[in-house]
Amino acid sequence: MRHAKTLRWLTTLTAFAILLSAAPAAFAVPSFARQTGMACEACHTVFPELTHFGRVFKANGYTLTNLKRVQDVSGKKEQLLELSTTPPLSIMAQISYTQMQKSVPDLSNVGAPGVAQNGTAGFPQQFSLFYGGEIAPHFGGLIQFTYDNAGGSFGVDNTDLRFADAKLLPNNGTLTYGLSLNNNPTVQDLWNSTPAWGFPYTSSNANVSPLAGTAINGAFAQNVAGLTGYIFWNESLYVEAGAYRSAQQGVTNELTGQAGPLDGTTSNVISGAAPYWRAAYEHDWERNTLEAGVYGWNVKVYPGGSPSTPQPLRGPTNKFDDVAEDLQYQFLGEEHMFSVMATHIHESMTLNAAYATAASANPSDNLNTTQIAATYYYRRKIGATVEHFSTSGSTDNILYPPNAPGGPGVITSATGSPDSNGWIAEVNYLPWLNVKVSAQYTFYNKFNGGSTNYDGAGRNASDNDTLYLLLWFAF
Amino acid sequence: MQTINKGRGNRRRKATWRQRLLWLAGAALLVGPDREVRADEPDAATGAHARYVAMIVCGTCHGVTGNSTYPKFPRLAGQDAKYLVKQLKTFHDQTRGDPDAIAYMWGMASQLNDETIDALAKYYAAQKAESSPARDPATIARGREVYEHGVAAQGVPACATCHGPDARGMADFPRLAGQHAQYVLKQLASFQSNMRNVAVMHGVVQNLHLADMQAVATYLEAQP
Repeated sequence: MRHAKTLRWLTTLTAFAILLSAAPAAFAVPSFARQTGMACEACHTVFPELTHFGRVFKANGYTLTNLKRVQDVSGKKEQLLELSTTPPLSIMAQISYTQMQKSVPDLSNVGAPGVAQNGTAGFPQQFSLFYGGEIAPHFGGLIQFTYDNAGGSFGVDNTDLRFADAKLLPNNGTLTYGLSLNNNPTVQDLWNSTPAWGFPYTSSNANVSPLAGTAINGAFAQNVAGLTGYIFWNESLYVEAGAYRSAQQGVTNELTGQAGPLDGTTSNVISGAAPYWRAAYEHDWERNTLEAGVYGWNVKVYPGGSPSTPQPLRGPTNKFDDVAEDLQYQFLGEEHMFSVMATHIHESMTLNAAYATAASANPSDNLNTTQIAATYYYRRKIGATVEHFSTSGSTDNILYPPNAPGGPGVITSATGSPDSNGWIAEVNYLPWLNVKVSAQYTFYNKFNGGSTNYDGAGRNASDNDTLYLLLWFAF
Repeated sequence: MQTINKGRGNRRRKATWRQRLLWLAGAALLVGPDREVRADEPDAATGAHARYVAMIVCGTCHGVTGNSTYPKFPRLAGQDAKYLVKQLKTFHDQTRGDPDAIAYMWGMASQLNDETIDALAKYYAAQKAESSPARDPATIARGREVYEHGVAAQGVPACATCHGPDARGMADFPRLAGQHAQYVLKQLASFQSNMRNVAVMHGVVQNLHLADMQAVATYLEAQP
C-alpha cells in the first residue's frame, strides 16, 4: 500500500515534470493583427513578448477591433449585437528537432545495453488553432486548441476569456478593469516575467526535464478554471485577485459516466478553490518600460487516486504556497530592442497527505526557482536570448527518489535533492514577423541534485544538455 | 460623466435625458475608433465618444492628453486640428506610407468616419502641449539657425516660413514645437526618401544633411 502511494506520488511528480517540459507554447496570434489591422509590432517586440500597447490591449479584453461588424440595435438604440464580419482566427505550427548530449536508456532494454534513439523530429511538435479577439463588446478571448505529438490528439490549450471596460478618471487618469476566466494561473498576466508567457517560450518535448517545479509554473495548466478580477490604473498599477478550482480534462466519473463530479478516481484535485493574487507596477519613460511585481497562489490538493487505486477526496491535503517576485525591463528602439525578464518563486509545501502515507520524507519542504533572461533583437529580424535558471530546495529522498537497483536512472536523484541549474542560449531569425527559426541550447550544471552521477545510474547533468531546433510560424 | 459633460453648457444648457443616455452609452462602450456613429446622433455624443476613444485607445501610445512620452509616437497635444484631420484621412485612405503609419495607423484609422475624425482632431487641438527637457545647447543653436534661416548652400528654405516663428504651426502647416526629436527626424528622413510622400516637404528637405536634420529636430523638441 505504501509502495502504491509512493508510486502515485511519483507519478504525480513525473506528471508535473512532463507537464512542465511539454508546457504548451506561448504565442502571439495573427488573429489580433487581423482584428486590429495593426502589425505584430504594435503589440509585440517579437512574439510572444508584449509591448506596453500589447499589455493594454490584453487588459482591455482583446476587444479593440477595426473590423466591420454586423450590428443589431433595438428601438431604444440599445446595441444588441456587434459581430465581426470575419472571425479573428489563426493557425500555428511548430516543427522541431531535438538532440540530447547523451541518449537515455531504452526502457525495453533495461538491464541490457541499449539506448533510445537520439535526435527526435517533431513534425509537428505542436499545431494550434486560435480564436483571438472580440466576441462581443467588452468581451473577448484567446482560445487555443492544440494538437501535440506527445498526446497525439487535439485538446484545449491556453484559454483566457475576458470581460473588460475602462473609465476616465479626474485629472486625465484612466482605469481599466475586468474579469478573466482562464485555465492556467498567470496565462492572464500582462508581463512576460511570469510563468505562462515567460522564457523559454517553447521547449523541446523530447528531452529530459528536472524533477522539481513549482505548482504555479504550469503544473495545473489546462486542468483548472480560474476567475480573477483586476484593475489597471493609469496603465501603470495592476492589481488582480481571484481563485482557481479543479477543472480537469479527460476524466470520467464512473457513476455518472460524465465529466464530473470529480471523485477519488482522479488525482491532484484542488480542495475548494485556490486563491491567486497579483500586483505589479509599470513605469514607462521614453523608450523604456520597467515593471516590478509580486504574485502567488495557495493551492491545497487532495492526492486522490486512479480508477484502479481510488482514494477518497477528503482528509489531509498537500498544500503549496507560492510567493513570487518578478521584474521586467524593456528598451524599444527603432533598430535595437533589449529586454530583461526575471522571476523568483518561493514555494512552501505542507505535505500532510504525502507525509502521512510516506509519500514524502518530510512533513514540509520548500522549493525556490529563479529565472533571469536577457533578450536582444536587431530590427526584429535577428535576436538572441540568454537565460540562467536555478532550482533549489529541501532534500527529500521520496519526492526526489533514488534509482531503484538496476533501474534506468535519468529521472531520479542520488542525493534526494531537487537542485538543478544551468543556462539556456537561444538565437532566432525571423525572415517575416510571423515566422521564427530558432536554435536553442540548454546547459545543465546541476540536475536533480548533482553534476556527476546525479541519478545514481552514472548519468551526468551535462548528459541532459539539449539542442533544440525549431521552425515556428503562424498565419 | 461630469468631466465628459464639461464645457458643453454653451450649446445646450441642460442635457435631455435622451442625450444623457447616449453619453452614458458612449462612455460605457469600450470600443475602438471604428464605432459607427449614426447620422441622427447629436454632436455632443460624438465629442464625448471621441474624448473617450482618445484617452482610452489612442492615449495608450499618444498619451491621454496627447503628450506621449515614447518618441516613436508623436505628440498630438495642441496640434492644428486641420492637420490632424488630414493625417487621419491619409491613414484611413492608406495614402501615408511611412513605416509606422502602415504598421499602426492604417489599421487604427481604417473604420473612422468623418465625424469621429473631426472630433478626435478637436480633442487633441484643445490639449495643452507639455514642454520637453532641453538637450545639447550647441545642437539646439544649430537647429535654431536651420529653422529660422534655412541652409542656403543646400537650397533648404527656413522652416519658420511655413511652421511659424515659434513653430506652433500656421494655416495648414503643423505644430512642431515640443515634438519628439526622434519623431521629427524620422519624418524628415521619410520626406527625403519619399516614403512619406509630401511633395512640398520632399522639395524642402531633399538636400538637407542628416546632422542638420538632427539639429533642427533637437531644437524643435526644446520649444515650448
